[in-house]
Amino acid sequence: MPALIELHEITKDYGQFRALDHVSLKIESGVTGLLGPNGAGKTTLIKVLLGLVRTTSGHGRLLNYEVGRQAREIRAKVGYMPEDDCYLHGMTGVECVQFVAQLSLFSAVEALRRAHEILDFCGLAQERYRPVETYSTGMRQKMRFAQAIVHDPPVLILDEPTSGLDPEERQIMLNRIRLLAKDHGKAVLICTHILPDVQSISDSVVILAGGRVQVSEKLSELSRPAVPALEVRLLGDPARFLGTLRSRGISCEERPSGTLLLHGAPATLADEVWKLAAECGVGIRSLTPSRNSLEEIFLNAVRGESHHA
Amino acid sequence: MLEQTAGPPSVAHPIAPTVALSGHGVNHLGYRGWNGQLEPGWMRWAVIAAVGVRRAWTSSWLKRMMFLAWLPAVWFSVGFFIWEQAALYPDWRQMAGGMMRGLPPTPAFDQIRASVQSGDLESSRHTVWAWLLQSFFRYPQGVVMVMVVGMVAPPLISQDIRSRAFLIYFSRPLIRGEYVLGKLASLWVFLSIISTLPALVLYVLGVLLSPNLSVVAATWDLPLRILGASVVLMLPTSVLALCFSSLTQETRYAGFAWFMVWILGWFTYWAATASQAMNSGRFRSPEEQVAFMEESAWTHLSLYHTLGRVQSWVFGFTKLEDVVVSIAILVAITVISLAILFRRISAPMRV
Repeated sequence: MPALIELHEITKDYGQFRALDHVSLKIESGVTGLLGPNGAGKTTLIKVLLGLVRTTSGHGRLLNYEVGRQAREIRAKVGYMPEDDCYLHGMTGVECVQFVAQLSLFSAVEALRRAHEILDFCGLAQERYRPVETYSTGMRQKMRFAQAIVHDPPVLILDEPTSGLDPEERQIMLNRIRLLAKDHGKAVLICTHILPDVQSISDSVVILAGGRVQVSEKLSELSRPAVPALEVRLLGDPARFLGTLRSRGISCEERPSGTLLLHGAPATLADEVWKLAAECGVGIRSLTPSRNSLEEIFLNAVRGESHHA
Repeated sequence: MLEQTAGPPSVAHPIAPTVALSGHGVNHLGYRGWNGQLEPGWMRWAVIAAVGVRRAWTSSWLKRMMFLAWLPAVWFSVGFFIWEQAALYPDWRQMAGGMMRGLPPTPAFDQIRASVQSGDLESSRHTVWAWLLQSFFRYPQGVVMVMVVGMVAPPLISQDIRSRAFLIYFSRPLIRGEYVLGKLASLWVFLSIISTLPALVLYVLGVLLSPNLSVVAATWDLPLRILGASVVLMLPTSVLALCFSSLTQETRYAGFAWFMVWILGWFTYWAATASQAMNSGRFRSPEEQVAFMEESAWTHLSLYHTLGRVQSWVFGFTKLEDVVVSIAILVAITVISLAILFRRISAPMRV
C-alpha cells in the first residue's frame, strides 16, 4: 500500500524547545491514531503537515506533495478539524460551513447546497441557522467536523474529534469517521487522548512522546502479545478449574479483574478449556485470544519502552 | 459553470447508524463525494471580502452612516449646477463668484476669480470642477471616512483573533496576502461607496449639466484624479485601521486607537498651528488664515491634513515638491502597518 504521508527526520524547534525531534514515519491509508501525552508534539506535527509552521530540518511528502513547499496544494486536499474552539464570529452554522467551502473554491450556490448536505450528515439540524457563538461544545464539534469534510478531501486530520461529546454523540461521531474511511476511502489521521476511540476505529497507531516517534505500527500487530495466550472469564468458582488446569500442565494466572490468562496457542488450548470447564462444572462467559491493550502499549511507549525498540 | 454533483449515492452502512441516531428524514443523503467544477483560485480574497461586507452591513448605524455619507454629494452637486448655469447665463455669475469667496490667494484660485470677472467661465471649468471634487474628498468625505472605517474595521481581524478563526482560514489553501487583501477589500467597498462613487457621480452630473459633451475632452483627467484621490484616501487608512484591529482581540480598543489617531492628530496640529500663528501676528484676513493653515509645517502631525495635502496634489492644486514629506509619511504608515499586520496574522500559527 503506498504511503500517504511520509516524513524523514523532521525536526521543529521553538527557540530552545524541541517540539519534534527527528520524526520519521510512514502513514498509509485507513484510519491512523496519533497518540501522545500533552506536549508530545502532536499538534506541531499536524501544523508541519499543513505547512502552518516551518520545519527546522527534515523533509516529507503528503499525497505526493512536498510538506512545507507545497502547503497550498496539501491544504486543498486535506480536511483539518482543529482541537481549538475556533469559529467565525457573527455567522450561523450553515454560513460558516458555506464560507469554508467557498474558501475551497466552491461557488456560493454550490457551497450552500453542499453545506446543508454535510450538516445533515453531521447531525446539525435546525441549529445550523443559529449564530455559532450560541452553540454548545458538541454542536461546535459537529460544525468543525462539517467544515473539515465539506470539500470532500481525500485526507482528514482530526484533532480530538470526540472531545466534549456525550457518549452517544461520541459513538455517532466515530461511526461517521469509520464510514468516511471504509466506504469513501478517506485516509484519516486522528489525534486524541481517548484511547478506546483509537482502538475502536484505527488501523494503525503512531505514538509520539517527547517529540519522538515511539511507536508506528499496525494496531493488529501491536495488539498481538509476545507470548500467545487465551483470556477466559468464568461463571462459577474458578479454584477447582485452576487446579485442574495446573494439574494438566497448563500455565495460567489469575488477573485482578477476575480474568484467567492461559498461556499457549489459542487454537489448541480452546478445546481443552471447554472440556475441562465441563468437567469442573463451571461455565465459560468468554474465551478470547489475549491481546495487548492500547493503554499498555501507550504507557510503555510514553515511558520510553518502545514496543519495537 | 458548475457541474452537478457527481459523487456516488449514499450507501447505507451497517456500522454507521447516523440517520437513525440523528433523527433526520428522507432528505438526508448521507455522505456523498463531490467532484464538481471549482472556481478560479484568485477568488479566495473576494470570498473573505464578501463575508466582511455582509457582517458589517448588519449594523444599522453603518447603514445610516452610508446614507448620510451621500448628503454632501448633494451639496456639491449644487456647486456644479451653479457653475454650469453661470457658464450659460450671466445672471448666475455673481453666485458663482460667491462660491469662490474665502479661497486662498493661489495662482489656481486667482485664475478662477479672474475668469468669473471676465465672464469666460469655460477656461476655468477644469480648475473649478477639480476644486469641487477635491473639497468633496477632503472635507466631508474625509470625516465620513474616519467614521465608516471606525465602524467597519475594528472587528475585522480582532474578532478572528478572539474566536481563533485563523485556524479555519489558514488550514485552507489561503495565504496571508489573500487574507489581508480580503479584509482590506471589505473596507474598500464601503469607502468606494462613500467617496469614489459619489465623486464619479458628481463628475457625470457636471458633464450632463454642461452645454455640450466637449467638456469631456477638457476634463477627461478628472475621473483618473478621482481614482487617485480614492487610493490616497483608502490605502493608508484601511491598512492602519486593520493594523489596529490585528493588535488586539478587543474590538473597542481597536476602535479607540483609530479615533484617537485622528482626534489627537487634529488637535495637536490645530494647537501648534494656532499658537504659531498668534505668535507671528498673522491672521489678517480669512484667505490668509486658510493659506497659513494649509502651509503649516505642523500638518504632518495630523493624518487628516496629511491626507488632504496629498489629495490636493492629486487634483493639481499643490506641487509635488510641497507634498513629498506627506507622501513619504503615508507610504511609511502603509508599509509599517502592513508589516505589523502580517506579523500579527502569522503569530497565532507559530505557537
